[in-house]
Amino acid sequence: MNQNFQINSKQIDKIQKITEEEKNFRIKNLEIFKEEGFPSKKLEDWKFSDFKRIVDNNFDELDTKTVVSHFDKVDLLKDFEHNYIFLVNGNLHSSNFDFEDKNKIKINSYDKSINYEINKNPLVCLNQAFAENGYSLEIDKNYKFNKVLVIYNIFTNDIKNKILNNKNKIRVNENSELHTIEYTINESKFKFINNVLENIILEKNSKLKNLNIQRKKNEGIFHKYLKNNLSLNSNYTNLIFSSGTKFNKLDIECNLIDQNINCNILSALFLGNNEHNEIKTCINHLAPNCKSYQQVKNVLNSNGKGIFQGKIYVKDLAQKTDAYQLGKALLLDDNAEFNSKPELEIYADDVKCSHGSSSGSIDEDSIYYMMSRGLSREQSKKLLIKGFLSDIVEHIKSPSIKKFVENKLEEQISEN
Amino acid sequence: MLEIKDLKASINKKAILKGLNLTIKPGELHAIMGPNGSGKSTLANILSGKEGYEISGELNFNGESIKEISVEKRAQKGIFLAFQYPLEIPGVNTNNFLKTSLNSVRKARGEKELDTLSFLKLIKKTSYELGIDEGILSRQLNVGFSGGEKKKNEILQMKILNPKLSILDETDSGLDIDAIKIVAKGVNTLRNDKKSFLIITHYQRLLDYIKPDFVHVLSHGKIVKTGCSELAQELEKTGYKKIN
Repeated sequence: MNQNFQINSKQIDKIQKITEEEKNFRIKNLEIFKEEGFPSKKLEDWKFSDFKRIVDNNFDELDTKTVVSHFDKVDLLKDFEHNYIFLVNGNLHSSNFDFEDKNKIKINSYDKSINYEINKNPLVCLNQAFAENGYSLEIDKNYKFNKVLVIYNIFTNDIKNKILNNKNKIRVNENSELHTIEYTINESKFKFINNVLENIILEKNSKLKNLNIQRKKNEGIFHKYLKNNLSLNSNYTNLIFSSGTKFNKLDIECNLIDQNINCNILSALFLGNNEHNEIKTCINHLAPNCKSYQQVKNVLNSNGKGIFQGKIYVKDLAQKTDAYQLGKALLLDDNAEFNSKPELEIYADDVKCSHGSSSGSIDEDSIYYMMSRGLSREQSKKLLIKGFLSDIVEHIKSPSIKKFVENKLEEQISEN
Repeated sequence: MLEIKDLKASINKKAILKGLNLTIKPGELHAIMGPNGSGKSTLANILSGKEGYEISGELNFNGESIKEISVEKRAQKGIFLAFQYPLEIPGVNTNNFLKTSLNSVRKARGEKELDTLSFLKLIKKTSYELGIDEGILSRQLNVGFSGGEKKKNEILQMKILNPKLSILDETDSGLDIDAIKIVAKGVNTLRNDKKSFLIITHYQRLLDYIKPDFVHVLSHGKIVKTGCSELAQELEKTGYKKIN
């Protein structure tokens, strides 16, 4: 444990209006965290992302006290019409659903309901001990959003040496559809850690498409544990374009609890100097006839480090599962690193499961071919990189959102 | 247009071209034939500027030495190579690629870059002229193209870029007769008294449609015989053995 990390159990006492049961649950989680400390590479799940080292190298002191921040409004995206919510340092600040029937949407600053389940991830325990902010969004039955919902995830300039623990929840009820874009804007000049626990519940026949992207490069250190419970005929897609942070680990657990569920995790990242990005998944096929599709593509420059640990679990009764997983990297520098660890655990006998992983450098013959048509080496390289990531971007159906993502990727590629 | 003097080239210390001389004047079309491994593709690669060869001798294009000039600069100066094996570039749209390519060449020539609309007009017209299915233009560059489609795409690119010197490296290999006619049409419609061609082929067949001014036989890294179009017909009958 970092000596200068101040954990104060009394902080739990200050959390208002909680039951004895919740308090005990928080204390229990805190005790686990105290015993484990920040996860280091000794833990299998953290073997490519030594979080303890990240903490030791970046912080002389750290605390979990919540802050009340000053926040100047940020400019809304002009690329497409959208609903929005503002999160400031993880806390719900305001929301706007002018394009929607507001009666169908419930938005709150925090979801009080708790699943008293202990997670073995120490950062989740830390979150369970202290989190008292975040947002909770619920969409009524039979409602399809007209416009995308942008979640502006803003970090202000006055957070220094903080661990912000936030807890979010999205519930999409029967026959409803929601499309979200989580847009991170980090204005902090100081280093901080954002540790999020997010719970997504998709009810029967519902659909959620989420897209993650950053406004620009930043020094933030992010960890998110995403727990998704997916019901009959539901459709979940997570598109991850979160390049440009110092450290980012996304740990996704998907529970496919009923039949005919479609679950897609897709990522296109361009990681530059000293950027570290891990996507860890665990797709639990718990019922028959479900489909899961995971594809992670990383372009890695200088010291960029990309990790994809993908697990597919197929329960004995989950027959006719169709699960696919692919990790692919394009390495632009000898010091760049891509680690891929596919894991399949299958107990059913009539399933289709496949996985693959590959990494390689830029193909010089392709560069030569393009240059022989008058393109410069840089132009050719850029086209190859964009081409490599393009099949993920192709999953975005809206032309204006697609253009927006393409521009962001272009910025990433040009900056490096 | 092109002047090659005593060109020697080796790759990984293995000598491939061993003192090649060739002069191509504006308006001339030269065919190069020769057995496998004689250095035909190496010559094409070196002319286009491919790296990795050790080279000596002279290589002049329009009176200027191009030995130290990069691949893209040569393309911008008007040298075009139709590849023997065009590469598949995943995720890159053929139309966009062609537009980027044309505009970098036009920019280098001091011409105005084409906007999307004028470009699409040009490409539509050119593919129609050549009898090439426009469908390939909206696909990823050469990805999943048949052998014939790839070669047709090379000819389309040649037409669009309108080079001074076009080098065709076995473009006719593996093509059916209709596709060969498209290749020939591409060459013949570009041909005028200012443009030059260097056509590398194994077969007399292509030369039935494109009449060369000169035919050279390349063997063991040197031009061992030069003649007019009858030489190609002779080779078709006798093979290369007699010439060596």
